[in-house]
Amino acid sequence: MAFLAVYPVLYATLVRTPLGREFDVILPGADVMVTVLYVGLFAISFDFISGYTGYLSFGHSLFYGTGAYLVVLAATEKLPLLGADTPFMLLLLLAGVVAVVIALAVGVVSFRLSGVYFAMITLGFAEVAHVFIRNWDRVSGNPRDGASVGGGVDAFAVGVPGVDALQIELGRLVRDSLGTVPGLGVELDAAAGSYYGVGLMVLLSYLCMQRIIHSPFGRVMIAVRENEERARAVGYDVYKFKLVAFAISGFFAGVAGALFAGYRRSVAPVNTFDLFVTADALLASIVGGLGTLAGPLYGYLFTASVEGVLTTESDGIARYLRDALGEGTLATEVGGVSVAELINVFVDGRADLYLGIVFILFVLYVPRGILGTLRDRLGGHVADRLPDRVRARIRGWRK
Amino acid sequence: MSGIAVVDVLVDLLDPSTLAGIFLGAFSKSALYVMIASGLSLIFGLMGVLNFAHGSLTMLGAYLGGAVMVVLVSGGTGGPTRLLLFFVAIAATFALLTLLGGAIEVTLIRPLYDRAPLFQILLTFGVVLVLDELVRIAVELYGLQPRTDWQAAFGTAPDFLAEWYTVAGVTTRGLYLFEGLLGVLAVVAIWAFLTRTRYGLYIRAGSEDPEMTRALGVDVRRAFTVVFGVGAGLAGVAGVVLMWDPRFGASVPLGVETLLVAFVVVIIGGLGSFRGTVAAAGIVGLTDAFATWLFVNDHVAFAGLPEMVSFVVLVGVLIVRPQGLFGVAEVGGH
Repeated sequence: MAFLAVYPVLYATLVRTPLGREFDVILPGADVMVTVLYVGLFAISFDFISGYTGYLSFGHSLFYGTGAYLVVLAATEKLPLLGADTPFMLLLLLAGVVAVVIALAVGVVSFRLSGVYFAMITLGFAEVAHVFIRNWDRVSGNPRDGASVGGGVDAFAVGVPGVDALQIELGRLVRDSLGTVPGLGVELDAAAGSYYGVGLMVLLSYLCMQRIIHSPFGRVMIAVRENEERARAVGYDVYKFKLVAFAISGFFAGVAGALFAGYRRSVAPVNTFDLFVTADALLASIVGGLGTLAGPLYGYLFTASVEGVLTTESDGIARYLRDALGEGTLATEVGGVSVAELINVFVDGRADLYLGIVFILFVLYVPRGILGTLRDRLGGHVADRLPDRVRARIRGWRK
Repeated sequence: MSGIAVVDVLVDLLDPSTLAGIFLGAFSKSALYVMIASGLSLIFGLMGVLNFAHGSLTMLGAYLGGAVMVVLVSGGTGGPTRLLLFFVAIAATFALLTLLGGAIEVTLIRPLYDRAPLFQILLTFGVVLVLDELVRIAVELYGLQPRTDWQAAFGTAPDFLAEWYTVAGVTTRGLYLFEGLLGVLAVVAIWAFLTRTRYGLYIRAGSEDPEMTRALGVDVRRAFTVVFGVGAGLAGVAGVVLMWDPRFGASVPLGVETLLVAFVVVIIGGLGSFRGTVAAAGIVGLTDAFATWLFVNDHVAFAGLPEMVSFVVLVGVLIVRPQGLFGVAEVGGH
């Protein structure tokens, strides 16, 4: 977590070094890091229900999309009572609350089923919402393309409502500079400002969920995962516990969606209600470690880094290779196909292929994910154990 | 919809040619859905594995079928030969995908049988990511599609599939009739496979009681491979037909589209029950055709209705009967 706090400064420094171009290719930029934060939060909320109770919520994008659309619809004056001037913090909270209501409605039906059936019925609900939002003409003239906030609305601000000094505006291309950090006098550019603004919300949400997992309530969730019949036999009303856990998970997924919309200022069915949005959370959870709350965030950091390296944009490795390799190398034929073509086909924007392979390998060989495996090796939480281990190792060297 | 509008709809609906049209549409759609879903149903029936890659296999089948036709058919090929070659394409796709399915089972799914069923879902989901991307690479490498329709393959369809026929006062494409026939053929073939072959017996026994089946000395390992292969092959056959269906066509997103349909059908019918799959395909096909008719005739202005209605049926059925129409509660023990 400390690493994430200093990342923007680190990145800005590294990119200015002589190897700047290389770092720019390998490291995810500030823009990508904001994505890591809000999708990471979404993945954490997915893991909260799927990793801790064992109920695979395959329609989780439903809550994320609800939060995202709520923000954009409110900002474009499409919702009753909520004007464009509604404070963003209120919208965040509302996004969570609406998601809770939907989660309760979906959960009441879905938790009568288990296993595969549960995964499928939640997917079914999410698809109903997906089809609906793609065709709901209130969203915009062309609902298939989604809607955007437009320039007329001020940047969304995270902070204490009503206290101007404590606001961080989420400004992606909204304005160049976002003024100074209260009390410190440090200038923040738009991307870094958003990074810390979104990061603050994600950190708060993470701490809330962590608190719940480590409470007696969280114990029951894990008991449900390990052996539901036994949990019921011990006397817990398992159905209610599952429902509440699902609602909590939905709340934070809604908040994640609202943060996404607040930062991007536009929504589309493809990046909110789609099955592949849930897939992103699934991928992140598997790579990071299903059933380790912080794991999905790091899992998504990995996913986003791979995507960043293999992107078609100018800071991707494909462009870099094309510039770095000479004309002669590029024109060389390998089995009848030139190197340039190979790069186009197998490198440029092919993150999904390699991520899919990584995903399969993780399912087969690292079922506990990165963080889960680390915990097994260290015999406890990484944050608790790692410093001890390092200290012991250093002492070992000294002798 | 106001009271008067409902009466309008009913008056319109009770016209014999309207009804015939809806039923004809429902017939071709149900047949398609049976073909898409039956492989998934067989695999789950025996193994309890929910194959997320099923839709991607269908999509692969669409491209393979198209590719076989493009290779075999030239401009001078006559009508009857084309029809024959179409069946060759179906057979070739079935064979190739059966092999691929068998290979996937042996290499990827076999190591997971002693783990929680969750991991099988996750793994096949990973297969989706890889397969979809590989197809995208192939499409780009061979320059197949600037857009969703693959024109070269479109031109190779046998004449009678592209022509229009009038049945019971309704004009319909030859393709839709062919889909209906092929669907009936598929149901009969699978029914024969289930009741007349050794592996059919294994599947039926396996979906009743997997542990007892194993205890009785059935080589479950090999049965799994065969059934996974056949299931994948069936997905491919469905894909070949979809390639020329203007309502679908070959594209990478076809994978998810058909996957969702297959899930809806298999779950409404009850996981692992072939009878249920056939019945559910009929129900979904009928509601789908009815919803399409409502929208096309301006009785309902919401364009998403036909797509949405099958999910609504799914949710409705699961609320009333959580195990599906013909399903046994908690099939496979998870």
